[in-house]
Amino acid sequence: MAGGDGPWHNQRVSSSTRLAIASPVVALGAIAAYILLFRVAIVRNHPEAYVVAFAVAAGLAVLAVMRAGGRRWPAWVALGFSGLLLIGGAWFNFVAARVPDTPTALRMGERAPDFTLPDAGGRPVTLADYRGKKPVVIVFYRGYW
Amino acid sequence: MAELQGLGAQLSEAEKAGVEIVAISPDPNEQSQKVAEGLRLGYRFLADTDLAVARRYGLIHARGGPEGQDVPRPATVVLDKDGVVRWFSVSNNFQVRPDPGDVLRAVRAL
Repeated sequence: MAGGDGPWHNQRVSSSTRLAIASPVVALGAIAAYILLFRVAIVRNHPEAYVVAFAVAAGLAVLAVMRAGGRRWPAWVALGFSGLLLIGGAWFNFVAARVPDTPTALRMGERAPDFTLPDAGGRPVTLADYRGKKPVVIVFYRGYW
Repeated sequence: MAELQGLGAQLSEAEKAGVEIVAISPDPNEQSQKVAEGLRLGYRFLADTDLAVARRYGLIHARGGPEGQDVPRPATVVLDKDGVVRWFSVSNNFQVRPDPGDVLRAVRAL
């Protein structure tokens, strides 16, 4: 790494800079892994893992700031970036993505409520029509998730 | 959608013929149906635009949408041939969905 006068100073700057680079690499790597492995149930079902990764990235950035010698801006940029991701990620996972645990109409061993809804071609589909023919898996979803 | 893709990938052709997978969403379903057809998943996508069915099932997340609108609470329900509930999973975090392996085990146990 460039910069610094003596070997000792040089070492301090480069260790801080290395940490400042590692911090966003960890944070962005976690985002990339979550998106790429989204269809893998164990990844999708542990969204708190990206919050942990952001916390690790923020920790690396804190170390970078503590070890920063002459050149401080990479460490502060890394801390700002990972800090924002940590706050945003934690808010998204623990607040925004929460769904209140309200009572449902589903009862084990009881018949599910019947319905008729149009399919993608506009043809009506009635749940009771499958009775005596096939098991049915109903998936309520929205958006990409 | 991602959950549905995972489920479809684990089903054999025979199982796809033996079970009906019905995906219910207030979203426009044309795109979902195209994705499913492209992947040969054999799902039926049903449009619950006014959330009447989600409401009947008690699966409404009130003001849970990005614009403060009501949205369905993510849920997966396994019914036997008689339409009786044999297994279900309702999510408390919209990012989290049942493992397709668990859904398939419930279907195979019928």
